[in-house]
Formats: sequence, structure tokens, C-alpha cells
Amino acid sequence: MGTGDLAKYPFLNEAGEYMRKSGFGWDELGRPDMKDVIERAAQRIEVGVAGDVYAGLDKYEIEILTFIVSLIMVKAIALEPVLKKYALAEARRAEKFLTDDLRKQSEPLKRSLFTKIFEDLFSLKIEMAESDTRLFKVKVTDYLARSSHFHEQEWKLINRLVSHGFVYLDADETVRLVRNELSILIHEKVRAMALPTLPTTIRDRAEELRARFAPRYEYRVLSANDLPPCVKHALDVMDKGENLPHSARLMLATYMLAVGKPVDEIVAMFQNAPDFNEKITRYQVEHLAGIKGSRTKYSVPSCEKLRNENLCFATQECAGIVNPIQFGRKRK
Amino acid sequence: MIENGILTKTSVLLRGAFKEYYFKSAKTLEEPKKIEQREFGYSHFGQPGMVRHLSFRNTGELIATLVKEVPSDVYCSNAYYRFPTSPMQDKEWTGADMIFDIDGKDLGLPCVPSHSHLLCATCGASSPGAELSGPYVCQSCGSRKYESSSIPCSRCVEGSKKEVVKLVDFLKNDLGIGPDNIGIYFSGNNGFHVHISDEAYVPLDPAARSDLVGYVRGAGLMAESLGVRKGDGSGTSIIKFPRGGIEYGWRSRMADELGINSTSTIKLRNIVDHAGGYSGFKMELDKKAREKGARIDPQVTTDIHRVFRMPGTLNSKSGLAKTKCSNLGSFDPFVDACLLGDSKTIVKVKSPVKIKLKGKAYNISKESAELPAFVAVYLVCKGLAEAA
Ligand code: SF4
Ligand SMILES: [Zn+2]
Ligand SMILES: [Zn+2]
Repeated sequence: MGTGDLAKYPFLNEAGEYMRKSGFGWDELGRPDMKDVIERAAQRIEVGVAGDVYAGLDKYEIEILTFIVSLIMVKAIALEPVLKKYALAEARRAEKFLTDDLRKQSEPLKRSLFTKIFEDLFSLKIEMAESDTRLFKVKVTDYLARSSHFHEQEWKLINRLVSHGFVYLDADETVRLVRNELSILIHEKVRAMALPTLPTTIRDRAEELRARFAPRYEYRVLSANDLPPCVKHALDVMDKGENLPHSARLMLATYMLAVGKPVDEIVAMFQNAPDFNEKITRYQVEHLAGIKGSRTKYSVPSCEKLRNENLCFATQECAGIVNPIQFGRKRK
Repeated sequence: MIENGILTKTSVLLRGAFKEYYFKSAKTLEEPKKIEQREFGYSHFGQPGMVRHLSFRNTGELIATLVKEVPSDVYCSNAYYRFPTSPMQDKEWTGADMIFDIDGKDLGLPCVPSHSHLLCATCGASSPGAELSGPYVCQSCGSRKYESSSIPCSRCVEGSKKEVVKLVDFLKNDLGIGPDNIGIYFSGNNGFHVHISDEAYVPLDPAARSDLVGYVRGAGLMAESLGVRKGDGSGTSIIKFPRGGIEYGWRSRMADELGINSTSTIKLRNIVDHAGGYSGFKMELDKKAREKGARIDPQVTTDIHRVFRMPGTLNSKSGLAKTKCSNLGSFDPFVDACLLGDSKTIVKVKSPVKIKLKGKAYNISKESAELPAFVAVYLVCKGLAEAA
């Protein structure tokens, strides 16, 4: 894959590899001539958070570097909604390029290169259709595992070209199938990243962005008094190191997700539980957040449901609410 | 059937016949794949409810339990769990076989009243179903509550088989599932279960399964898939065949049905206009698709935590076994799934009844009859006779 391709798909492992080979090290980020890259990276984040797609694709090396710096900055900003929006925007950007590249029928070699991306990144095997060179085919089960979370009727299997175990799709449709996974991939990249000691130039710029985004996205800083009694009770039980029933854990996690607490912090809340296992807890919280597994986002159980499960510890302040998420909102 | 903790005579009769079956034939039971990861459950004669969350390491253990407990019905999960004996929320689901259920009683066949019997829910008295006109009143005790009991006829069996054939066509030709991975089972009473053992389907979640259900039922086909779109004005339509063509899957099925191919714009135009435009065509297409679809129970297939009757075990609604059909065309449930012994059994028959089992017709009109065990048990299971 050439540098041009890597600039389009900077999340590929080859991109990191390329940077390493070109002798790039973290400390170089502090060099004065990196200012331009940092500025581009900040812009890339802002554009993404605004729901648009960053269009820059001029100097390839610069773009790859910009991507890496933007990942670092998003990590440093440490606001879950910012990360989510950024990841989705990056996915959309790659989606656009991927569709164009897949469409290029004149270069079968190149096309097969891109089908490899699908296989490596998403374990999705796509083949070219025998009958029609504009079409690709994917296995019915691979298709269903992804499409069944789309809501449009036209994605229902019955409205697709299905034959002998395969679903036939054009380039747009094939790429659309993995949009979600692309964004998860970028999300994961940021999550798994260990932040190096940052040069002040990057740290300051990230701080600045954070200060600007925070009022919009930061969860309400929750003092114990702001929490609904049911959630408070669950936290108390947890603090004592006692076992919390599954349903109470579900409530706690969905509530914290709903108020915007980052996944990492929610996982940490559970570490007092007697059976705490970071990996399993993380998986479960991410599942509830709609990042893993069925990819449906779970909402906070209603007060009625919690009452039935004996998890409700209503006080006067609960008057007139039907979901814990409404607690305290009316006062403001 | 339990009175004061003692099994009734009828329960004793059934239990005895089932025990003999499990004792003799249990060794031929087909072992479910990855048996140790599945949840089992069973019911006892004369007791409501089900013992659940059981697990067996191999068929040997399972058979020992069957012979010892002699359950009225035995169930096995389609799901695989890390901890099959834990309560539901802690089982840790890891996957589930996909299973389709075709139930004869859901097909709305016109023959059903002619072979149904109405059983009083209070005293158990039986009367022929065909005679019901107006509200039910029990002749013996005056109760107005009843249950219906049906002895499926050959038309019922053929009706269910037809749906199985339609289903298997979708599974093989559209979904590409190999014949070795499609297990067709007679349910033991009045229908069929189709088990898919293709590993690729095991991880699918309910949403994905629900999409497949829509596919085989022919539900949700858009007119746009055939190239018919809504026009600007009311009642108008635009014909433009989809980019991918109409050569595969439901598109080709419906194209054949309508007699069109991707060059027949004018013909399709006429069909649409004749149907009254876009919405008329849409309705017609939907109706045609549902006729072509297989009549499966949608809930069964989307449920990834269900337990199903285990192949090779007896169904207490009939005394017949859930049986694998290696040749669906020639399969006769009243012969191939009728596996109980023939020791002489005396029963009290509630109302005259005609049945054919193991190839022999029985026309029973006497109140007290001495019958081979397999006939006696069938009638008792159907609520049409009780132990003498
Ligand atoms: S009323 Fe609702 S918010 Fe209040 S304690 Fe009960 S469940 Fe929680
Ligand atoms: Zn009665
Ligand atoms: Zn019939």
C-alpha cells in the first residue's frame, strides 16, 4: 500500500509501521515545526465533533501524522462524547475513500487489496461477484450480523439479492456495512493508547479544546446529593465491598453512561465488588454503551421496573419522576 | 392427575409405558452436539411446571436420569452456555442453534374440526368438535370451559410437510445451508422442527434471526425491490429496475410469479397499473410473498434461550416420539414415530374414536377396550380415554 493510501486509511497498522520506519518518535512532536500538524489535528477534531468530515488530503506524511496527533489529543481531552463523535467522523471519512477505491473496476489488483482491508480489520470476507463486476458478495451470516442493526427496510434480507449463502452488494452498500466497525476500531485505538508525556504544545492545545467542549459534554459533576436514592444506595453497597445483584449493576452502569461518565471511570466504580474482573466488567459496560456485542444502547431502567426489583429507595425528591435519569433535573 | 400426592391410575399407566420405552430405546438417543454446554429440563407426570437448569456431561448420564425419573416431557436448550445450571442471568450465553417450528395447528386447515374432540375443562367429558354450534356447554356437568384435542389426519400431516418443503428450499437455495446441516424432526404431535447445525448461524443474535424469519416467511418485501417506486402524484408509480437486478432471491421468486425479467418494463407497468398503482401493487406483492413464504412460528426462531423437545424423547400430548425424518416424503408419524410397545392395556374410552397407528386402523366405540399399549397411550395422552 502506498503512502497515499495510508493517508486515507491512517488507522491501518501499516500507517503506524510507516511512521516508525521513517524514524518518527514521540519527542519530535514538541519540535517547533510540528505546530502546523497540531493545528491540523485540533481542526480535525473540531470538524469531527461538529458532525462533519475532515477533508484534508494534501501532504500524505502530514496527514498521517495529523491523524496520530489527533488521536493523542482526543485521548487527552478525555470526554467520552467527544471521542464518540470523533470516531464516527473518522469512520465516515474512511468510508468515503473506501467506496471510491472499491468502485475502481479498472484496477482489479487494487480492488483485491481493499477487500483485504475488510478481512484484516473486520473479519469480513468479501468477494467479487461472478456475474456482475460492480457487485461484491458477502456470506449471509456476515451480512446479518451487521445489517440487522440497521433500521431501514431496504437492509432487511428479504429486500436483498440473496443466493446460495451469499448477499450481493454494490460498493456503497459493502462499505456501509462496516461503518459501525470502523468507528469502533478508532474508538478502540484511542482507548488502548497509553498516553506518553506530552509536549506542552499538544497538552495546551488539548486543554484548550477540553475547556471549550466540557460545558457541552462533560457529565454533571455528581455530588452524592445529586444522585437518585437508588443509585446512591447501589454505590453504598458497592463501597462496602458487598455483592450487588445483577439488576442493580445494570442500573448503576446505564445511569452512569446516561450522565456521560466515561467507560473507564464506570469500570473503576465496580472494582470494589467481590467478584470484580476488569475484563468482564469492561466488556459488560461497553456492551451496555452499545460499543460491543449487539450494539444496541441500553437505557436506564424505569422507576417502576426498579420498584419491582426492590431497588427503589424513593425519597420525597423522587416525586413525579418515572426514570432515575430525571432525578434532580426538575430543580434546575 | 395427582390427588393427595398419589399419582392417579392414568399417570401410572402413562409412566409405565414411557419407562419401558426409555429403558429399551434410550441407547439409540441422538446425542445433542456439545451436550455439556446445554441446559436441560423435564416435566413429571401429574405435576405442573418444569425442572430446569439441568446439565449432563454425556448421553449416558442423561439416559440414567430418564430411566430413573421417567419424565412426561424432556427438553434441551438450543443455546450453549458457559454455566448451564446457573440462573438465567448468570448462564453466560455463548451461542444457539437456529431452529424453525412448523405447527399444524397454526395452519388453519379446514379439516381440523372434523377430527377434533372437545374436552370439558372441569370433568374431562369428551364430545366431537364438529358438532359445536353456539357456545360450549358440557353435557355431563354443565361447565362452559373446554380444551380441544385433535387427532391430526393425513391432510394435516401433508399440510405441515408442504411448509417444511418450502422452508428447506429457502434454507438450501437462498441461504446455502448444506443438507447435512438441516435436521428435520417430527415434533411428536402435530408439526415439525427444523434444526440448523451450521456453525455460522450459532452466534447470531435475536435481531439477525428475526431478519431471517422475515425472509423465510416472505414478510416485508418492498415493491422497490422489484423496481416499482412511488410516483409524485397520488396513485402514480415509476418503474426502474434496481441496480443489482432481479435475478436472485425473493426478487427472482416474485419475478417468476409475475412473469417478468429485468427487460420487461412495459409488462411490469401494466401489472402495476392493473393493481391500481403503487399501493395496490405493494399490497398484491405482499400477499403473494406471504403465500410463497413458509408458515413458521416467528417467536420460536428468534428466541435464543428456549428449550426444545429433545429428539428421541416422547411427547406427552400424544405418546409419539420426536423423530428425525430422513425421508420427509415417505415419513408417516403414525408409523415412524409410534414407538411404544404393544402389551395389552385396558382403558375406558370417553367417546367413540377412529385412529390409525402402526398401519392398523382402530375404530373404537365400546366404553371399555383392551388395546395395544401404543394405542391406549395415544388415546390417554389425547384426553380421550383414561385408565380403567
Ligand atoms: S423513585 Fe426512581 S429515582 Fe427514586 S429511588 Fe426509586 S427508582 Fe430511584
Ligand atoms: Zn364437564
Ligand atoms: Zn386434518
